[in-house]
Amino acid sequence: MKQELVNPFITSAFWVLESMLGETPKRGSLGVQAHGTTSHQVNVTIGVTGQVTGHIIIGMSLQTADRIASTMIGRPVKIFDSLAASAIAELANMIGGNGLLHLSEIGLVCDVTPPTIIRGQDVEIDTLSVPALVVPIILELGEFTMTVGLVQAQERTQAA
Amino acid sequence: MSKRILVSDDAMFMRNMLKNILIVEGYAVYEAANGQEAVDAYKAYTPDLVLMDLTMPVMDGITAIKHIRAGDPEARIIVCSALGQKTMVIEAIQAGARDYIVKPFEKSRVLEGVKAQIGSGKAA
Repeated sequence: MKQELVNPFITSAFWVLESMLGETPKRGSLGVQAHGTTSHQVNVTIGVTGQVTGHIIIGMSLQTADRIASTMIGRPVKIFDSLAASAIAELANMIGGNGLLHLSEIGLVCDVTPPTIIRGQDVEIDTLSVPALVVPIILELGEFTMTVGLVQAQERTQAA
Repeated sequence: MSKRILVSDDAMFMRNMLKNILIVEGYAVYEAANGQEAVDAYKAYTPDLVLMDLTMPVMDGITAIKHIRAGDPEARIIVCSALGQKTMVIEAIQAGARDYIVKPFEKSRVLEGVKAQIGSGKAA
């Protein structure tokens, strides 16, 4: 997968996290997604459609999700309820949405699907063999990974 | 009597956040969780303003704006979306939106946009 398709979402994640959490994150080393299983307890998936297609999965521990949701909501989250899940989903939605703005700046017009929250460890997420890069994002509130599996529509056609 | 605002967003978190910002300023707030609910709520309550997300299930925001404006060409609608591409902004304005706020936003940006359309929360 082209790095230029991932960079817009890394830039977006940093901006959104700084805006919503008031914290400047650090980026860990990029990895490659070898299989579709996630070890995270809380995962948010967003589909990307248009001139670039694929998925973005943001995964984190329940503790990190609780901490991030608490900061966004402005009060402690004792149970990861529907409001906390909505906060994490909206964070992913903003990262995805603003990533599209950066993609459009390199001439790629896309849209995103509404986010879906998947809870549970060792969940198999079938990404239809789209190659993915894994970007660790490190915050004081905890660490999460952003898995970005995107291909340009032309690439997909050629592969088929 | 308070000015009335319909907040349409599929994210409960975002509806709560906007509601909290607006209620403090004296606005009355109704909620819709998707575009279809927004269209139905607009007909039922005829609010002074709608804050509309774009990416929503059941019916997206652009389609909802078109439906609302077809029934009320004077409807005041501000888009509040994570999608900030120029093409989306143009599409929303062409559909009838009067302003476009990109998430994440500052509270002041929301209030500035709302007050520019309908004034302060309490009617004079």
